[in-house]
Amino acid sequence: MAEKNVENTEEQERLLDEALQVVKMESFHMKRELDKNKLMDGLKHASDLLKELRTSALTPKNYYELYMAVCDELRHLQSHLSDEFQKGRVVSDLYELVQYAGNIIPRLYLLVTVGVVYIKNKPEAREAILKDLVEMCRGVQHPLRGLFLRNYLLQCTKNVLPDHAIDESEKQEGPPALQHSIDFILLNFAEMNKLWVRMQHLGHSREREKRERERQELRILVGTNLVRLSQLEGVDVNSYRKIVLNGVLEQVVNCKDAIAQEYLMECIIQVFPDEFHLQTLRSFLKACADMHPRVNVKNTIIALIDRLAQFAAREEDSGIPSEIMLFDIFSEQIANIIDTRSGMLLEDVVSLQTALVKLAFKCYPNRVDYVDRVLEATMDLFGKRNMDSVPNGSALSSELYNLLEVPIKSYNNILTVLQLQCFAPLYEHLDYESRKRIGVQMLVNALEHHTLLPSAEQVNSLLMLVSPLIQDQADQPTDIDMDDFSEEQGLIGQFIHQLYSEEPDQQYQILNKARTHFEKGGNKRMIFTLPAIVFSAYKLAVRYKELSDEDERWEKKCNRIFEMCRAVINTLCQAEIAELPLRLFIQGALCASELQFENHESVAYEFISQAFSLYEEDITDSRAQLAAVMLLISAVERCRCFSEDSHAPLRTQCAHAASRLLKKPDQSRAVAHVAHLFWSGQITEGDGEPMHDMRRVLECLKKAIRIASQCMESAVQLQLYVEILNKYMYFYEHGCTGVTMELLNQLIKKIREELQDIEGNEESSMIKVHFENALEHIRNHQQSGDGQYSYEGITL
Amino acid sequence: MVLVLVVGDIHIPYRASGLSPKFKKLLVPGKIQHILCTGNLCTRDSFDYLKTLASDVHVVRGDFDDNASYPEQKVVTVGQFRIGMCHGHQVCPWGDTESLAMLQRQLNVDILLFGHTHKFEAYEHDNHFYINPGSITGAFSPISSDVVPSFVLMDIQASTVVTYVYQLQGNDVKVERIEYQKA
Repeated sequence: MAEKNVENTEEQERLLDEALQVVKMESFHMKRELDKNKLMDGLKHASDLLKELRTSALTPKNYYELYMAVCDELRHLQSHLSDEFQKGRVVSDLYELVQYAGNIIPRLYLLVTVGVVYIKNKPEAREAILKDLVEMCRGVQHPLRGLFLRNYLLQCTKNVLPDHAIDESEKQEGPPALQHSIDFILLNFAEMNKLWVRMQHLGHSREREKRERERQELRILVGTNLVRLSQLEGVDVNSYRKIVLNGVLEQVVNCKDAIAQEYLMECIIQVFPDEFHLQTLRSFLKACADMHPRVNVKNTIIALIDRLAQFAAREEDSGIPSEIMLFDIFSEQIANIIDTRSGMLLEDVVSLQTALVKLAFKCYPNRVDYVDRVLEATMDLFGKRNMDSVPNGSALSSELYNLLEVPIKSYNNILTVLQLQCFAPLYEHLDYESRKRIGVQMLVNALEHHTLLPSAEQVNSLLMLVSPLIQDQADQPTDIDMDDFSEEQGLIGQFIHQLYSEEPDQQYQILNKARTHFEKGGNKRMIFTLPAIVFSAYKLAVRYKELSDEDERWEKKCNRIFEMCRAVINTLCQAEIAELPLRLFIQGALCASELQFENHESVAYEFISQAFSLYEEDITDSRAQLAAVMLLISAVERCRCFSEDSHAPLRTQCAHAASRLLKKPDQSRAVAHVAHLFWSGQITEGDGEPMHDMRRVLECLKKAIRIASQCMESAVQLQLYVEILNKYMYFYEHGCTGVTMELLNQLIKKIREELQDIEGNEESSMIKVHFENALEHIRNHQQSGDGQYSYEGITL
Repeated sequence: MVLVLVVGDIHIPYRASGLSPKFKKLLVPGKIQHILCTGNLCTRDSFDYLKTLASDVHVVRGDFDDNASYPEQKVVTVGQFRIGMCHGHQVCPWGDTESLAMLQRQLNVDILLFGHTHKFEAYEHDNHFYINPGSITGAFSPISSDVVPSFVLMDIQASTVVTYVYQLQGNDVKVERIEYQKA
């Protein structure tokens, strides 16, 4: 029996195979003898097959397989014996007899087998026999063999242990039957646990890891005792607290073995019902404090909390009984554990607090103060351990992140998160990346749940909190991924629309407060954030206009809004961009123009002229220049608020800018564009009638043709001619009588001539189609014959 | 049958925080073959979102698009239809039927898509079809009051286009159907 268990798999398989062969053969003989009613011979073979379990050569896994095969055969013996006893064989004889088997392993297995049959037939002997069996098993002190033997004992006695509270029919002296059952299992548990723990100390120290692995494989054998205890129906809360839990915890604490403690505490949580746990929290948590220093008790406590939180969620109606101060007990005991176990890592402490916050939220969703208490306790612990800033990428950083994420994800309302006094101070401990991620979480949450921030005060607190997203930080890294940055800033832009109050005056306060934060964002951020502020402000101005009947100061307020917007857009100009602020000014002018408050004309004028200044001073790219001029022209055409005194300089400025563009084709198009301004543009003196300045329209179009004729490329020139022809047609059809048929005929003739000379390619054929479409349009008008604008005199 | 999504004036994040969840639910990947966007996506994110709905996305440049690679105008052919796209801020007066008709003649298209006014429109003019999908986010516009979020789906079969306009009125999505037959 000195053979060591062999690692080599092939060798293991061979050993197992041989053993299984023997078991099979001996069992064949055993059954044959039993069939012949030769009981003694049968027992002899049973003893021989059991001898195989004496081996030390097998790994726990293979030993288990062998054990299962043996158990199968023993069941056969069991049922045979049962039959024998029914027929009247004297049981006690046999119980004595098997004790003479030569080897201890076969002897004890046979003893258990016979003993159980004995109890079934003579219940009155139960107590004495059980006591005898559980004591006798002490004879095997080899951990592996002992564990399996005791497991066999536990399996076989499964149906003979009384599990009801106190059976009235069974009036005996001494403690009630249930107490015996509990004592029996507790004793077996204690013995098995000792064997299991002792395994750790066998063999060479360099094989520690292998031994630990083997122990993990065998742990379920020990745990089965707890399962059996939980199956005793007679155990109620009282007997659980007084006998069962006390007995189990005593063994667990005293064994001083980390592997055993970690597993068994987890087992207790899983096998016993929630109602029992609720009544025994203090003793359980106190035991946690007494665990071996290597035990990570946070896992145990988190498992318990998770279980109870699930229970609370499931039993929504009854919930946690109100007399159990669940949160108080946990926070007090956890504080005690953290206090006693000074070696506990701060990240483990924080993860305990995370579980506590989850518990508080699940069981007491309305008690925001509970969550705040946990955060406060955590903050104090950071103080005690002199932890100021948590390093990026550390376990502590990710645990603290998890903790702070809980309130965001649980409440799904960042306004509730803002109510937590200790959230912000704790958040300040985080590293830059994690602070940013928490900030992003909060904003995404607000967007997903449509949370609005309805006061300037709340906006201020939130923006201070998420400042890593809003302005540069002392601890930010130097290199930033621009794609990530844009995505994150885009998110903030989206979020700005959640800053909203039904109360317009409050909304103004909100925007004014928000802009002070965003204006500190630097050039890269302002591009995303300030336009959103500006548009929110324009929207607010529209709201004041709608409330003009209720608020007599609405015009002053509109004025103030536009003043603010002007300042914000000017700040944006510092970001060395011009196109975006130019467009914001144009949008502001259009908005003011529509609202018609007291000062709206000067505001619109100011905004358009600011846009012109930007155009002149800061837009240098020729394509951007053309786009800006066209927009300005269209905007001035659209604004209905200008008197002649304001409109005249603006339209002159448009015409001037159009004719000063660098490229000839751009000039030609822009100048032709200005014609619209002189036609459909309006001044306030016109009482809603368009200007219809025919002379200037024709001047513009003729000038556009002249500029086009200066273009070097004939295809470009032709394209412009066809475009201007269409403009002529437009104004003709809108009643501009200065557009004569003679003018049109001249231009059509010119285009036809040029078209003959042009090189045939894709570009020229597109121009031809464009021209044909224009002629087709004329033809349709001629044929429809309603008299007006019938192009009479056009030669097609 | 080919489904074409017409969408524009998204204006996230400048003027809107996002699409209504009701619209998001309707717009599922794998049903739409082409997306024609009339501009003002404003950021890369909106383009990426459209890309998740269909791989074939065409965009023209709006006045708030920073991306210089978007063209001012574009023509896309779907089945028998030549479809022209232009944001429309380049046309004067904005949204003017006859001014848009000039563009239609230049691009030589059957259908002209445009935007800028944030108001849904679909009409026939001189045998050609004009669609403004409106603003899918219902973004604020100083030139239109009470903007209703909207977009358009075109179902193109042979020489027929059936246009469905989706409008978010209050909390309900209203769908209207307009048919256009190519002459």
